[in-house]
Amino acid sequence: MVGPSPHKPRRKVKKSSNGSEVSSVSTNSGRSSIIKPTYPLAAFLWPARSSVSQWEILPLILMAVGLFRWAAGLWGYSGFQNPPMHGDYEAQRHWMEITTQLPVSQWYFHDLEWWGLDYPPLTAYHSWLLGKIGGLIDPSWFALHTSRGLEDPILKVFMRATVTISDYLVYIPATVIFVRRLSKLQGVNTWTASIALTAILMQPSTILIDHVHFQYNTVMLGCVMATMSSALAGRYMWSCVFFVLALGFKQMALYYAPAIFAYLLGACIFPRNIPRLLGIAIVTAASFAILLLPIFLGALYDAYRGIDARPDLFGHFAPLPIFTEYSFRINYKAWYYPLIQQLAQVIHRVFPFARGLFEDKVANFWCALNVVVKLRKYPTETLQKASLVATLAAIAPPCLVIFVKPRKELLPLALATTAWAFFLFSFQVHEKSVLLPLMPMTVILAAKHGLNKSTRAWVGFANILGTWTMFPLLQRVDLRVPYYTLTLLWAYLLGLPPTSFALYKQEGSPTWTGFATTAIHSLFYFLMAGWHVVDAFLAPPHNKPDLWVVINIGIGAVGFGICYLWCLWSLVVESGLFESSTTEKGKAKTQ
Amino acid sequence: MADSYPSIAQCAVVATAFKVLLFPAYKSTDFEVHRNWLATTNSLPVQEWYFEKTSEWTLDYPPFFAGFEWILSQFAKVIDPGMLRVYNLEYESWQTVYFQRATVIITELVLVYALNLFVQSAPPAFRRPSHAAALSILLSPGLLIIDHIHFQYNGFLYGILILSLVLARKKSTTLLSGLLFAALLCLKHIYLYLAPAYFVFLLRAYCLGPKSVFHVKFGNAFKLGTGIIAIFGAAFGPFAYWGQIPQLLSRLFPFSRGLCHAYWAPNVWALYSFVDRVLIYVAPQLGLAVDLDAINSVTRGLVGDTSFAVLPEITPRTTFLLTLFFQVIPLIKLFFDPTWDTFIGAVTLCGYASFLFGWHVHEKAILLVIIPFSLIALKDRRYLGAFRPLAVAGHVSLFPLLFTAAEFPIKIVYTIFWLVLFLLAFDRLAPASNRSRIFLFDRFSLLYITISIPLILYCSLIHQATFGKTLEFLPLMFTSSYSAVGVVGSWLGFLVVYFTS
Repeated sequence: MVGPSPHKPRRKVKKSSNGSEVSSVSTNSGRSSIIKPTYPLAAFLWPARSSVSQWEILPLILMAVGLFRWAAGLWGYSGFQNPPMHGDYEAQRHWMEITTQLPVSQWYFHDLEWWGLDYPPLTAYHSWLLGKIGGLIDPSWFALHTSRGLEDPILKVFMRATVTISDYLVYIPATVIFVRRLSKLQGVNTWTASIALTAILMQPSTILIDHVHFQYNTVMLGCVMATMSSALAGRYMWSCVFFVLALGFKQMALYYAPAIFAYLLGACIFPRNIPRLLGIAIVTAASFAILLLPIFLGALYDAYRGIDARPDLFGHFAPLPIFTEYSFRINYKAWYYPLIQQLAQVIHRVFPFARGLFEDKVANFWCALNVVVKLRKYPTETLQKASLVATLAAIAPPCLVIFVKPRKELLPLALATTAWAFFLFSFQVHEKSVLLPLMPMTVILAAKHGLNKSTRAWVGFANILGTWTMFPLLQRVDLRVPYYTLTLLWAYLLGLPPTSFALYKQEGSPTWTGFATTAIHSLFYFLMAGWHVVDAFLAPPHNKPDLWVVINIGIGAVGFGICYLWCLWSLVVESGLFESSTTEKGKAKTQ
Repeated sequence: MADSYPSIAQCAVVATAFKVLLFPAYKSTDFEVHRNWLATTNSLPVQEWYFEKTSEWTLDYPPFFAGFEWILSQFAKVIDPGMLRVYNLEYESWQTVYFQRATVIITELVLVYALNLFVQSAPPAFRRPSHAAALSILLSPGLLIIDHIHFQYNGFLYGILILSLVLARKKSTTLLSGLLFAALLCLKHIYLYLAPAYFVFLLRAYCLGPKSVFHVKFGNAFKLGTGIIAIFGAAFGPFAYWGQIPQLLSRLFPFSRGLCHAYWAPNVWALYSFVDRVLIYVAPQLGLAVDLDAINSVTRGLVGDTSFAVLPEITPRTTFLLTLFFQVIPLIKLFFDPTWDTFIGAVTLCGYASFLFGWHVHEKAILLVIIPFSLIALKDRRYLGAFRPLAVAGHVSLFPLLFTAAEFPIKIVYTIFWLVLFLLAFDRLAPASNRSRIFLFDRFSLLYITISIPLILYCSLIHQATFGKTLEFLPLMFTSSYSAVGVVGSWLGFLVVYFTS
């Protein structure tokens, strides 16, 4: 640890990557003669500016972000003391219960009314592992049936620990490696990269949803981060493996799939590289096969032991949940029938096609539109088609750009744009899904000029707005204090409104994009602050009890639409697709 | 570069965010103690404050602190009057928790202000190290564990102490420093332990002339004397008028307690007890007599009066004389060299002596040593060498205060974070000394710090895994003995530094 070595030189030899760039970093107020940090996060890392090895600073960052995660976890979780159904916490705990207590073949069939498993197999395996470990500590935590709705405080500590450990095993290492690769690729010095890393890891929405409200999104997000990271290193096959893992953990990762697909396809076509294409295809297929293998083997083994996947039917044949009209063609006595049955059930559980356009109130296009036009009067199929067309139209431009210009440093922006498109226009969106577009959008802080005023303003805006749209969700379980604390802390660290407006002070010659940014952001920050005041002190009218939430999602949807456009525009500018016409704008943006 | 970053204010903001997140954390009975005092001072006339005993946690702080609670209770009235009812024992509505936790954070602003003043009053060459030292106090894991989790108002009280110490830096504010310290004594009497250093310093630097000790500055002596009398009069006068002083003193100084607190504070007596425990097994071989009654008290654990099986009993008188003796030694030097640095050194050594030899010392009292020491720890590398084992031992010894699973990662990770951050930073900032250092001592401190890692692992994880709920006193005994070695070691090291510089 810390050795008392009194005679060592006071300053270490400067690392090559820490050289003269530091003083020219865009985070410093460029022209003034005194160099000083322009926002608090830079100030916190200020003493590490020169001559501090990354191996000293990295453990400190990881400890600090861990402390905030754990402290936030002292608060309640979703569904705490809220019977009969409890919430996400109970869902995750219940999955640990069923995966450890039931034969594999029944995982996706068991009592679907009580938090039936509806995530892909990797989540099931993850739950199984955690359930096994937890069962060693206290078997009653995951006892079949009797443990439902358990609120043992030690169980809470265990569950919080599983989130934190999963985070530290997947998301955090992936982010550290990603930031390092991206900063090396773009010539960003390690000190600036450390600032970006801290900012990414302190992102309030992930902490609030995973460590407070309770879920394991960071595992999926971490796998996607690893996908991008592998792409940066040029390891396409690994990218595929990680992305399959992400999909296998949480189907929401599909939001990224078109962009990943377009990128990989582009990377195989410009220039043409058929072996790579084949390799990618084979690795992807093999990864899926391996992912499903335990479920399949379990199903076969259970069939061999005579355990029926659906004991409630007493051996009677039941039509498959999907492609029901074709299920009579399959011989349900064949050896492979359990496999088809499992696969059909997994797909049916994971993709709820039969549900409506949206369930709860969420800040996307459809929910916002619903305020103006009552969408319920249209048939579900029309709405589904409209949603499909709108989503395709919105994801087409970013996918096209990344396909034509498959440059790895464009990946975060392409992922962010497609994820925004899905969030805004697709079907069955949950408010927590805003984490998906936020993650790749936030990591561009680590890119070249990522910490300059314009990028910081936009990334900050998207994050503050995203967290703000989750406020009704958090408020329901009395999590206002951690919401305000973590959001304001992040805003403070990055010098964002409402803590500081210095970000919008234009230096040198003012630009129109600068004015537009300032105008849009000021308006939204004003609306958000005003909404909080109204929500806190005024009760909504009696005939419209959801009015405040509806206003929240309306503002959120418009803001997210703007974020989509900004990501798309940045993607186009960065790709250099229209180099000649956008040079000036590009300069203006990166100033 | 004029300013150092991050600034004290920036750190305070981030630390506040962290402390707000700790609102739902574990809180000890001290939370109920302070709630009861809020209720007592708010709902009863002053005459009854020191007689009220509905709760077992009676008011046992001096009058100014009671007044402080009364002021807080005026705000508490608005938040939730429920907490102000004396019979509402164990009352902890979320409003009460938020309010009491928030008052700790807000009153800690005194500390922020005092630290700011400390950095500004430092000589320019010493400003950067002072800044680092100030941040180390502000972010101290001791204050975090004791105030923001366990629950107390040390941030506020130590803020006043530091303010008083900093005011002693300038001739013009020395009087204010003395008066502030008098007020501090009327807030919490634990600071009496530091009073001898104040007495000698104020006497020599303020009441006597700089050239000769026979040149008495009567004007200064008069101002100081009347000021102190006025402050004590304001605090205790009304109670003296009502004839309540004996009752008040019996509350403030409960001598009926045992030598060691329930959990041994890491001092000389912890080592003494440890040796006694070892001697129980060794004594028969050596032919020493073993007191069989005492063995029972050993196996019962650490609660209650400690009695020794082999070694002679310790009386309050012994501890008092030892404390006084080890306080007087550094004060002699202070008398002949009344500079600010020596003064802080003497305050630190008074803290050490009382912590190491005092009667019924609580482990929280280690802050009485760490905080004044932090102010001069960066003077040069020799000071830092003595500070290092204290920083490790003092904070490790606080771990048993928190024993709940949810707070376990916080106390461990936060303390390691603080130790790594500040010991690395201090190592860079402390200038080399112009005197030769004690080679062996450095090696000792490195070895000592290394041992802390397996010790923490054993006490927090391995012991429970192997022994379960049995032998619960073992990890506590190891922690306190280990910490006692560190505190005693750093004390010896600092004594050498103090007398040779």
